[in-house]
Amino acid sequence: MQSSFQLAFLIPLLPLIGFLINGLGRNWHSKQWSGLIGSGAVLGSFVISLLVFQSVEAGQDAVIAYFDFIHVEGLHIPFAFQLDALSSLFLLIITGIGLLIHIYSIAYMREESSSSFARYFSYLNLFVFSMLLLVLGSNYVVMFIGWEGVGLCSYLLIGFWFKNQEYTKAANKAFIMNRIGDLAFLLAIFWLVIKTGSASFSEVFDFILANEGTAKFTATDLTVVTLLLFIGATGKSAQLPLYTWLPDAMAGPTPVSALIHAATMVTAGIYMIARSHVIYSMAPFTMSLISWIGLATAFLAATIALQQFDIKKVLAYSTVSQLGFMFLALGSGAYIAAVFHVFTHAFFKALLFLGSGSVIHAMGGEQDIRKMGGLSGKLKITYLTFMIGCLAIAGLPPLSGFFSKDAILLNAFLHHPLQYGLALFTAFLTAFYMFRLLFLTFHGSFRGTAAQQAHLHESPALMTVPLILLALFSIVSGWIGIPSVLAHDADWLSNFLSPVVGSVVHEVSHSTEWILMALSVGGVLLTIGFAWYKFRNYSATESKGVFRFFEQKWYVDQLYDKVVVKPIAYLGKLFNEWVEPHLIDAFVNRTGKTVQLAGKQIRFLQSGKIGTYVLFMVLAMVTVLLIQFFIRK
Amino acid sequence: MNVLFVSAILGVLLMLSSLFIKHRAYIHSLALIGLAVLFAINLAEFNGWLLFEMDLSGMLRFDRYALVMNAIVLASFFFYLLLSGSAMEKVGPHYADYLALLFFICSGLFMVTGFESLLILFLGIEIISIPLYILTGSDKRNLKSNEAALKYFLLGSFSTGLLLLGIAFFYGARGNFIATASVDPTVMSSSLQLAAVLLLLFAMSFKVSVAPFHFWTPDVYDGAPTVFTSFMATIVKGALFAAFVRLFEDTFSPQFSLWQPWVAGFIVLTLLIGNLTAVFQQSVKRMLAYSSIAQAGFMLLAVYAINGDSKEGLLLYAASYSLATIGIFAVLVYLQDHTFEGFNGLAKKQPIVAASLAIFFLSLAGIPLTGGFLAKLFMIKAALAYQPWLAIVSVVMAVVSVSYYFRVIQAMYFRTDAQSSSIEFPKSLSIGLFITALIVVLLGIFPETILGLLYF
Repeated sequence: MQSSFQLAFLIPLLPLIGFLINGLGRNWHSKQWSGLIGSGAVLGSFVISLLVFQSVEAGQDAVIAYFDFIHVEGLHIPFAFQLDALSSLFLLIITGIGLLIHIYSIAYMREESSSSFARYFSYLNLFVFSMLLLVLGSNYVVMFIGWEGVGLCSYLLIGFWFKNQEYTKAANKAFIMNRIGDLAFLLAIFWLVIKTGSASFSEVFDFILANEGTAKFTATDLTVVTLLLFIGATGKSAQLPLYTWLPDAMAGPTPVSALIHAATMVTAGIYMIARSHVIYSMAPFTMSLISWIGLATAFLAATIALQQFDIKKVLAYSTVSQLGFMFLALGSGAYIAAVFHVFTHAFFKALLFLGSGSVIHAMGGEQDIRKMGGLSGKLKITYLTFMIGCLAIAGLPPLSGFFSKDAILLNAFLHHPLQYGLALFTAFLTAFYMFRLLFLTFHGSFRGTAAQQAHLHESPALMTVPLILLALFSIVSGWIGIPSVLAHDADWLSNFLSPVVGSVVHEVSHSTEWILMALSVGGVLLTIGFAWYKFRNYSATESKGVFRFFEQKWYVDQLYDKVVVKPIAYLGKLFNEWVEPHLIDAFVNRTGKTVQLAGKQIRFLQSGKIGTYVLFMVLAMVTVLLIQFFIRK
Repeated sequence: MNVLFVSAILGVLLMLSSLFIKHRAYIHSLALIGLAVLFAINLAEFNGWLLFEMDLSGMLRFDRYALVMNAIVLASFFFYLLLSGSAMEKVGPHYADYLALLFFICSGLFMVTGFESLLILFLGIEIISIPLYILTGSDKRNLKSNEAALKYFLLGSFSTGLLLLGIAFFYGARGNFIATASVDPTVMSSSLQLAAVLLLLFAMSFKVSVAPFHFWTPDVYDGAPTVFTSFMATIVKGALFAAFVRLFEDTFSPQFSLWQPWVAGFIVLTLLIGNLTAVFQQSVKRMLAYSSIAQAGFMLLAVYAINGDSKEGLLLYAASYSLATIGIFAVLVYLQDHTFEGFNGLAKKQPIVAASLAIFFLSLAGIPLTGGFLAKLFMIKAALAYQPWLAIVSVVMAVVSVSYYFRVIQAMYFRTDAQSSSIEFPKSLSIGLFITALIVVLLGIFPETILGLLYF
């Protein structure tokens, strides 16, 4: 085995140790120590991840089993890690971006007291640990441990400022929405274990490949399992109908939004489906459902983003929308394109969130873009990097977003022309709302208070350096997947991933590809121009008609409240006020009373007199002997 | 087999020690060291290392099962001495003598866990019983203690008579005392043999306090000094159960269909009487006496279902039940008030003690992550192989037991003490309790550590 693989256990272990040190010692550490331990742990993981990645790139892969996690009759679930192209790529994203965000957080969170500062870093490390476990696991159970772990950390970090009631509610919402998805994931695991007798990826896939369509694994099984896994993915990756938690999750500190709710955790669903691509490729119904759900989510979130005024909310909806794009790619069978977009999106979305953090920092906590404007003068680095982020997400060449989005659009085009049209339109919307955000924030004249204006300042180096690095990667990270039409044999990513995540290869004429590219780039440029015309000098106006509908987020929250929350609350009230006291309590109490009464009577057997005792014993023996010798004989 | 002799020698040594050693702490340490040595000797025997060898064929047979049981006895005894050793001083002035008697009992226990001849079984049981009569009455100025000793002695003699009669019939039917000897099927079904089986069933049921032969238990456990109740209810009972299972598995398994229904009936009766009466008790000590009857009902499942699961279950049961009950009694000794109110607000005053106690009670109730849970699981699984309804009764009764065990936890954590009297515990006690609780939990997570000894 490669020596770097032997170190692989340290990748999740280091953040776990960091979590323990910071979590247990939070009342004793100084802030420097907490920050250093937290970031150092992730740095260590990052370095080992790099080594692992190098070995994988050289053509190695391995499944390393550490110990038996569950071992009962017929079922054997090892605690094992899988090191291959897919997981090593995710390792790099998680630890790399995680490291930058840890560093950024040191400056961003410095106002906190030292104990809550340490608490913050311990949560962050725990998150990184869970996320690494999620991608490293070589079976669904280990993956699920990580899956639950990231859900927990997300909850803890959204509610980090738990004294604020609203934030706690947002944390609850995220947790509950995630739990719905988790339940489906869990059911899928049970289903797989029952049917295939294993939870390990390779064994499950081999079994299904061998027995698909037979009585051992029917087509129904396949559909049910893929659908359940997908429902799990919609929870974690914020897709319809479980996406509403993600925008509310912006209650957490901004670096958390960048790390968890943009770059890593929300891509867990995509990772899971890409990992399970073997079974998905056999389930066309689920695939087409995934593509439509992804597209619908992308479109819906993009329209909502058009009318949001909270800088982080816009980014949150844009995340939901971009995740929708990734699911569209998965549904079209373009797993590599989906992973590619995860990769590039991680950089520019982390960049945008951290940039927004820098803005919020400068504005003294203000998040409403109607009160900003003209910040480009004071926050030069933030402005430039933010602009790079916007260009990248809008998909202009040669920035990273162009290549990954182009791959998705191309696959959509080949898969279903209608989907292509809608996706293209959504891509224009993306450019529009992102540049609306950019212009409203950084251009025009300042619309905040005088005190805020005086407070404006560029953030310290601990914050700007990560921004610059991320901006750099937002430009270049797309170059790992340049399509053959632009440069011959430059699609490194496809070569790297295809052994693990075989994608469908389409034959397209170069002229078609050129036309598609021109269409999207031209459209995006026009859209940016339109946004410039519209928002260069912004003044607040009441939104009307369909835009009001968008501003209210399609009334989805209200709908869920009416259709789900209220009935459940009503049902709970019914159970609380009627079923529990009159049925359950009555039954339980009556049972208890009966037991007590019986005890009271039996107690008198214990008279304390030896004669009685002997009498009882003799009677019992005589009865037994009589029955034995005269009746049972 | 070495432990048998060494423990007897240690008993004699301890008895003499009071002549030379004035300081009680030294005697206590001597006993602890003696136990450690015994444990090491027993462990060595697993690998076949013996200090001296002797031909005991036809009398004693220390197989794997006996050795594991002995290890459990010794470990429990060690923790018992650690936690309750100093409480023994309060009973009376003859500290060294009490310890000596306990070691004699211990050698009796090794005889019953490893008997091959029924004579040895009888001898072992008497060696256990007579010191127990003395210890029950050791609080000489206490009338209750005297009464309990007398009751125990009278009823115990009665059961000894049954035992002897059963063994005599056994000899009459077979012409020897050897438990494992192969027997002609016609002898097996003779009336003499049947009577022997039933009489031995009655006698053994009496010794492990199975209903309807349990009547002595509450009175004796309640009347005896609490330290010795602890020993009787745990270590002695576990080893006697091992003998019970051994007797009925090795010797009487051919007459399985004969005695199995009776055992089932005894189990139901024991579970009902033990649990239902325990619900009504006001004194924790008396509650524990009934609870030990109820637990005997569960352990009897091992006799009922003679198979691998039940044997493993019994070992786990003996270990977790003994440790938990020893821990509870160790605290009980220090409380002035033996009612449930005596535990009020203990969690505030002694958090570690209270937490350990909570773990012990959870284990007794059979809550997961404790040894008690797995033990019950094994037992119920074993019963399930024969009679589902018996498993259902057991589970229902386990639920009933939650009600009285949790009353103590409730008192410790959710009630406040009205008279706020402070209870003084030695510091070593809370550490010892903590370690014991840890072992109870570990038994629930890694049961293989004990059970693996059976097979390695």
